[in-house]
Amino acid sequence: MKFLEKIRRYIKISEVAPISRRYFIMNAFDGATTILGIVIGAYAAGITNEFWVIWSGLGVSLAMGLSGFAGAYMTEEAEREKKLNALEKSMLIELKDSVIGKASRFASLWAGIVDGVSPALTALVCLTPFFLSSHGFFSINFAIPLSVAMALTTMFLLGVFLGKISNRNMLFHGAKMLFVGLIITFIFLVLKITQ
Amino acid sequence: MIRRIVLDVLKPHNPSVVEVSEALSHLEGVEAVNVIIYEIDQQVENAKIIIAGSSIDFENIKKKLEEMGATIHSVDEVAAGERIVEEVKTPQDRSARI
Repeated sequence: MKFLEKIRRYIKISEVAPISRRYFIMNAFDGATTILGIVIGAYAAGITNEFWVIWSGLGVSLAMGLSGFAGAYMTEEAEREKKLNALEKSMLIELKDSVIGKASRFASLWAGIVDGVSPALTALVCLTPFFLSSHGFFSINFAIPLSVAMALTTMFLLGVFLGKISNRNMLFHGAKMLFVGLIITFIFLVLKITQ
Repeated sequence: MIRRIVLDVLKPHNPSVVEVSEALSHLEGVEAVNVIIYEIDQQVENAKIIIAGSSIDFENIKKKLEEMGATIHSVDEVAAGERIVEEVKTPQDRSARI
């Protein structure tokens, strides 16, 4: 059986798709929010070196990625083990080597990967202006607002995605997510002004 | 040479009957599969599986079902040989005597 087909089958059997979708949105949002915080904080502190932002951002991305993976993997593994044990009790057989056992193990790993990759991914996207700035494409004064705009756009798009999967108003859901990002931006800007 | 076999199987809700029947139908020597769910519990369901073919390998069927997380409760009917012999009513059958 082809690899992708096998993965699709495991996702279907383990019913991990809705959980991984939740993990993806939740943690991708975390990633964007964290970088937004770092960037606005750097702006408030008057940092002029893009590498400070890049290294802080990368450090946070790695930490979020690893913590996301470990946390989700262990939680899912425990939950699925419990579910599998209950099913084994009903079936009166061992299911470890069956497709259900394999799908269950795959689901834990899958949830961990999604949980780990999503915040790191959005964090890296939001850090892109600083990478470009460090290569001389534009100044850090342009990279900061661009990064903030990218973080806010990411949040908005995550909201739109939520609206799409719930079959509701996509723009409204996007605006709700965007509002959270705007709160963070607003707080820091007020702090900067009152400094 | 098994041509038809009827099994009473206990299976979890997932993989679904569609997947189980598809997986069984792809086995060598199997030409047709019929899966009927006759009882559903919270975690598991009971299915009557009828498999017909030119040369059914029972061990393969058993292995595939176990791989899908199912277990055979009983083998309720087997038809083997050059052709299938259908069940007939005889005076010895309880229903015939009544």
